[in-house]
Amino acid sequence: MAPPPSSLYTLSFALALLVTLFVAASLRLLAILPNARPSKAQLRGRPTTARVLVVLGSGGHTHEMFALLRDLDSRKYTHRTYVVSSGDAFSAQRAGAFEKALEERTARAQAGEEGSVAAEGGAPQIARNGRKETKRREERWHCVGPECYTIATIPRARRIHQPLYTTPFSALQTLLAAFHPLLGTSESDLPTLIITNGPATAVILILAAFILRFFNVRGAESRGLCRTVYVESFARVRTLSLSGKLLVRVVDRFLVQWEGLEGYAGRAEYCGILV
Amino acid sequence: MATAWEWTPESKLCFVTTGATAPFTALIESVLSPSSLEALLESGFTHLLVQHGSAKDVFTKASSIARAHVQGQIVIDGIDFNPDGLQAQLRLVQQAKGLVISHAGSGSILEALRYQVPLIVVPNTSLLDNHQEELAVAMERSGYLLRGHVEDLSLAIRKSEEFRTRMSQFPPVTSGQHRETKSFAAIMDETVGFMD
Repeated sequence: MAPPPSSLYTLSFALALLVTLFVAASLRLLAILPNARPSKAQLRGRPTTARVLVVLGSGGHTHEMFALLRDLDSRKYTHRTYVVSSGDAFSAQRAGAFEKALEERTARAQAGEEGSVAAEGGAPQIARNGRKETKRREERWHCVGPECYTIATIPRARRIHQPLYTTPFSALQTLLAAFHPLLGTSESDLPTLIITNGPATAVILILAAFILRFFNVRGAESRGLCRTVYVESFARVRTLSLSGKLLVRVVDRFLVQWEGLEGYAGRAEYCGILV
Repeated sequence: MATAWEWTPESKLCFVTTGATAPFTALIESVLSPSSLEALLESGFTHLLVQHGSAKDVFTKASSIARAHVQGQIVIDGIDFNPDGLQAQLRLVQQAKGLVISHAGSGSILEALRYQVPLIVVPNTSLLDNHQEELAVAMERSGYLLRGHVEDLSLAIRKSEEFRTRMSQFPPVTSGQHRETKSFAAIMDETVGFMD
């Protein structure tokens, strides 16, 4: 005979449930945490275009980020999302300027090879990306202009002079807000790649991306999306920043710019100065 | 600023930048001290431009004494902080075979190095727990810049002419001394799985 439903409320049942959940969560974590070796090209299939999400920080971080992105190819990275903290007008402005420069660079390049491109009627189609990502033909369109990038603002994790005991609440608020730029609108997909170089907001955004992968939201994990790349600041020669220490075991690739930091936690990769 | 200056092919410009958030006032004073001015004169500098930011009072005071000292042999001028960056000034330095003296903030260092001009970086020793000194030491070791001391800049200024001839190119070329140098764009492609 089946036990009465009241037995579901016993302590031992609750404990058993907790243990089961704990084991399941641990196994899931083990499965999605990057292994000790840097993961390269783990995507299923061979993508032709990608969406990239860039987390910007205060002055110095933003400056370095745009130095890193200077050779960004808008034919491959067809949509860019820039995440800035509320009140950081400088970073938002820099993102706009970067996109503008990208547009000008493309216009110059296209003017150079006008004949060949004009024959295919390329220009008007550039803006319409996203839907036809699988077509190889799309590869050659430069995706520039206002439709190809978004600047998203999320609240600061901790404001200056904010009392310490309220920080967990504002951090949680930031975490909830961080899902918006990741999930985008119903029409857009999750980012393929998330790039950051260490502002506090980045830790929370990467946590949000990790949650999406944990629960495989919209195929984040099964389709190999939301890959994370962390680049430690060029100013860090011998020690990692706090964000770096927090993220070194979490991100898919952890890059440092000075040889002395190579191999930190068995994960840091050194590829020379990147900025 | 510089547009009002008399500019001849012999003109040589030293540009000093002190940081945006908290201007490095000791650097302003150090550059305008008699020993630095002597070193600048010796190296043939004719113009000195100081980005003083919000520390205008410090600059005004120190520059009036400095002007008396150099008696018109060096034109001394100051500018405020420009949120758009230092491109205009750095381009001028590049044209005028000049020299940049900067605080050790990584943003200013990166910006100045792109113009391939000799750079003297002066770490702010009064800041606690910062990595300015570390970065400056590492960059000097790689031959990208010269490190100066705020107590006495004259030595670094005198070295700067010879340094111009042997400074390393920045950013480093993608090969050679680094074993595995890749561009960040290549790393992104690799992570996403793009094949060329």
